[in-house]
Amino acid sequence: MELLNNLYTGFSIALTLNNIVYCLVGVLFGQIVGVLPGIGAPTAIALLLPLTYKVNPTSALIMFAGIYYGVAYGGTITSVLINVPGESSTVMTCIDGYQMAQKGRAGAALSVAAIGSFLAGTISIIILMAFAPALANFALRFGPPEYFALTAMAFGLLTVFGGEQPIKTIISTMFGLLIATIGLDVVSGMPRFAFGVPQLLGGIDFIVIICGMFGVAEVFSSIEEPEEGEIIKQKMHLRDLFLTWEEWIASRWAILRGGVIGFIVGMIPAGGITTASFLAYLGEKRFSKHPERFGKGAIEGVAAPESANNSASISGFAPLLALGIPGSPTTAVMLAGFMMWGIRPGPMLFKTNPDLVWGLISSMYIGNFLLLLINIFLIPAFVALLRLPYTIIMGFIVIFASVGAYSVNNNFFDVWMMLGFAVLGYLMRKLQYPIVPLVLGLVLGNLSENSLRQALLISGGSFSIFFNRPISLLFIIAAILAYLTPVLRWAWKSVGHPKA
Amino acid sequence: MRLANLIGGVFVLILGLAVVFFSLQLTYYSEFGPGPGFLPLWVGIIISACAIYVVIDLLRKQGGKEEFFKPRTRLGLQIFITIIITFLLLPLLGFAIGLAFFIGVTMRMMGKHRWAPCALTAIITAIGIHFIFISWLTIPLPRGLIGW
Repeated sequence: MELLNNLYTGFSIALTLNNIVYCLVGVLFGQIVGVLPGIGAPTAIALLLPLTYKVNPTSALIMFAGIYYGVAYGGTITSVLINVPGESSTVMTCIDGYQMAQKGRAGAALSVAAIGSFLAGTISIIILMAFAPALANFALRFGPPEYFALTAMAFGLLTVFGGEQPIKTIISTMFGLLIATIGLDVVSGMPRFAFGVPQLLGGIDFIVIICGMFGVAEVFSSIEEPEEGEIIKQKMHLRDLFLTWEEWIASRWAILRGGVIGFIVGMIPAGGITTASFLAYLGEKRFSKHPERFGKGAIEGVAAPESANNSASISGFAPLLALGIPGSPTTAVMLAGFMMWGIRPGPMLFKTNPDLVWGLISSMYIGNFLLLLINIFLIPAFVALLRLPYTIIMGFIVIFASVGAYSVNNNFFDVWMMLGFAVLGYLMRKLQYPIVPLVLGLVLGNLSENSLRQALLISGGSFSIFFNRPISLLFIIAAILAYLTPVLRWAWKSVGHPKA
Repeated sequence: MRLANLIGGVFVLILGLAVVFFSLQLTYYSEFGPGPGFLPLWVGIIISACAIYVVIDLLRKQGGKEEFFKPRTRLGLQIFITIIITFLLLPLLGFAIGLAFFIGVTMRMMGKHRWAPCALTAIITAIGIHFIFISWLTIPLPRGLIGW
């Protein structure tokens, strides 16, 4: 009954004309961002964030969420038609999607991606509505030790999902934590790493870093190694979008399995939509009776990862809203948005801002439905976008990043800082230091440090506080296991399992 | 790429050691629990230890085939320099005209378009920035000497 009440509250907010327009703008923009190379969801949201200071937070978050799940739909188009993923979350779609397109089934590939995303997304929203409040209630028991242990677990999980080189992932996470310490220490009031520069006393704003590391850094990388591919010239009619009965039979369980895998992975801190689609594809291949068809145009190979990435983009809101812990760079940028509006996500959010929470969640039904329509009827318009010269896209990114960085404190210092972080981001990408751990370290740094200090203050300096409390102990064990994963993998290989 | 990675690793090591050095000048532990130097010190130690591992690992390995500089790195560098020049000019030209200058120049540089379409795009960009950011969103962007 409470769920229906919440749903009613949510829809009464999401269905206002103003919020429908924000939702439509968000999903359209997300779809465009997904199609365009060199710009992803975190960049798009980071570039728009400074411009939404004056917008109602619920409307702005509805728009940002629309961008997040819209991007996963948009990225599919380039994966299927030119074998270039518009988004990292659609990398797996290239494998079978492009093969399908070469066999003249591009329409079916795009269609199953849209339908799969819609179905998995809708199921994901229903589970989110039931699960997120339960998670928030559970999190009401959390004190400083649990929060520190939770962030430690999130950082640990980054080494599992963060990239091929766990040591570089750890360095990157530590960079994020280090940047978070710059400025006045909140407890002692002592400046840290400010080196007498007055602009650094307040710390470095998250927007400045994101605009540089995701926006302009991406420009440098894209200029150096442009993503180019030959677009498959195929006249697509509406009837080509309909699946055959065999295709539908083959993909229905893949959609469900992909959706479930996506929902679970999306909730894990550091899991993210890319990992979700990757695992869903591998899972589907292992589950299939005909794994040899994968890589040669199997429709399940499109249905599973596409359902998973959309499902994960929705379930990622559970830890963000209920715990205040973002699981992906995009939700990390959204957390910065919450902070900008003075709203603290976490267990109390469901009680203090129910309109925002339920309005946002309900808007996802509307957004997913709009995306289904867009992806059935407007595909040619988005394909046309692929002809947009990169100079224009690059120009937009530089303009929005510069204006965004300047508008944080209205000074040029931040604009130069943004450029500095762009160079850092470019070099990190080039030397294979992952960026995502830095962003999560940065955004969770203060919570992690403050919780650690408060916990040790409560315990009189004894670290046993983290092991005496069951929830905290569970998180700490998970963190230790996560950090040990690279060692375990190495040991597994050494005893004769080279493919592990 | 191996040399670049090695230089990167040494740079990270120096940074880690610097963090340790500056953290030691902050209070490590006070009567109110861990001090402002507590976390940074451990962060510095972990960064340094990881960097040592990266450097030793690279010294043991053979270099890969991938090069640090790509054929289009030069173009990327040109764009970077154009951004620096644009940012230096922003206080004088203002955001609208300064960023429009950037668009015009990079269009010419990257797209090899003729000057006329580049200039036209720059003018449209300047008008767009002025009306969207300054007039509509009322962001107090510097307007430069021309006042636009």
